[in-house]
Amino acid sequence: MKPFLGPLEHGRIPALQQTRISAFLISAHGALTRQLGVAIPASLHHGWQVELHSQYCREMEILSLLGRATSWVPDPALGFQVWQWEMAWLPRPVAGAEDQSQGGLIDLAAFGHALHTVIRPAALLPEGFPDEDPFALAMRRIEFESGRLMQAQILFLKGPQLAHVRDVVASAVESRHSQVRELWQNLLRSMEIDTSGRHTLMPAYQARTQPAAAAATQPSVVMREP
Amino acid sequence: MPWLDCNSRRIHYELAGPPTGPAYVLVNGLTQYVRLWQPFRDALVAKGFQVVSFDMLGQGQSDKPSLFIRQDDQVEVLRRLIDTLGDRPIFVAGISFGGVIALRYAIDHGDKIRGLVPMSSFAEVPAQLFMLGSALRTGLILGGTSFLQDLLFPMNFSGEWLHSMRHLIDLARHRGWLANDVYALQNLMESFLEFEPLTDQLSAIRTPTMILTGEYDFLTPRPLQESLRAHIPDSALVIIPRAYHAFTLEKPALTAYLATRFAEEVMAGRWRGKGSIWVAPENVGGELTPFPEGFDHMRAIPVRTSAPELAPQQKKATAS
Repeated sequence: MKPFLGPLEHGRIPALQQTRISAFLISAHGALTRQLGVAIPASLHHGWQVELHSQYCREMEILSLLGRATSWVPDPALGFQVWQWEMAWLPRPVAGAEDQSQGGLIDLAAFGHALHTVIRPAALLPEGFPDEDPFALAMRRIEFESGRLMQAQILFLKGPQLAHVRDVVASAVESRHSQVRELWQNLLRSMEIDTSGRHTLMPAYQARTQPAAAAATQPSVVMREP
Repeated sequence: MPWLDCNSRRIHYELAGPPTGPAYVLVNGLTQYVRLWQPFRDALVAKGFQVVSFDMLGQGQSDKPSLFIRQDDQVEVLRRLIDTLGDRPIFVAGISFGGVIALRYAIDHGDKIRGLVPMSSFAEVPAQLFMLGSALRTGLILGGTSFLQDLLFPMNFSGEWLHSMRHLIDLARHRGWLANDVYALQNLMESFLEFEPLTDQLSAIRTPTMILTGEYDFLTPRPLQESLRAHIPDSALVIIPRAYHAFTLEKPALTAYLATRFAEEVMAGRWRGKGSIWVAPENVGGELTPFPEGFDHMRAIPVRTSAPELAPQQKKATAS
């Protein structure tokens, strides 16, 4: 098991790994986009609906980006996995919600929250991987945008309109988190990746006193979120 | 890898040093995780302490609640962790956010520990700190973890140290970004939205307390440390020369020396806090010197006090 994608092929993330990561992200973001599309009314009457519309447009951008920035190759394993993912993303009832409408909105927000928080595609890139690579840049952009997109879900889920059903909300979000995390980690395991190792990498502060280790681990280019 | 189960949440912790004798429990700052304690921890272990470090809820390898993290839950984690250590001298040191958790623990369970070391900590959130915290939270939301770290680096460290580390700053930023999740950091920051000042409860801390503060710390400046000194009965304030906010990272050996010395004095029965104010040595092995009498330790320029600055317990002793 390793903490990052690779080993690199001709300086790039292997096409099969790109295909699997992007297939998962397109499945999940595609499902979220469809659900947002259904939830947004033809004319907007509330502030949070403006947020939904903004999210919808951003999700469309993510889907378009993934389709174009990925080096796709055929992957027979994807057939069953895509079906499994699509089943998981379907809307599901929220126990304890006041009505079906409220439950639907909580589940939609919980799914979006899980998608934008649990999945960190840029953190899979090997340290020092060049910014110019389109797949790498797409991963960084998606993760960076996720940090902003999740704010709408946080505002809604933590907001006063759901304060009286806080336990219901917390339970629904934790449940979606578990589901997304399990599927994501299954996918990573299929590529022999284990992200838990990212916390055991030597901190840079300690590399200072170990020059050889520092030279071995220092990124060759500036690593930043886009 | 040891794990603690706390109300169905998994807490990652690490033990280093001998399993008997005195122990130090270290409580992380906001963006910290256990590996960042390593030089500080190793220095304490070399002095015979067992050191317990752990990731709080929302940090490192511990569970990260998706929406809500209560500070009460962090205190409960610390309580359970300390309860596993058995009956022996236990000291708790927490930095910044972790210092707040350590203070809250000491208020409720101070009888279980022999000493407390709040570092760059605070018991209230005055307007300046509130606005700084709000700006940092906005920075996290708009710019992600890397931008938050860009803001924190110059707040945490001296210019000289940052210069000497300049070839490693990108690596430090990247490792910090890898280890921290935006939503979890945001949840930790938002656990202060319902924060009530602890000031009135500080007098309940009866355990010996050494308050460590950096000479140049402007994130949690001197008045916040002074408030701790003024209200914790058996406390002393120690000012670390030329230090900023994160001196456990910039000066781990010196900070560990001070922590070791404090614990040894407490265990030997020599500790006398008395609200005293000290200046730490610049190097390991040096002596602490009393803050010059008649000068105001709250000022950045030498200004004479009209009367000696006394902590409440000193005033009481003087009156009696």
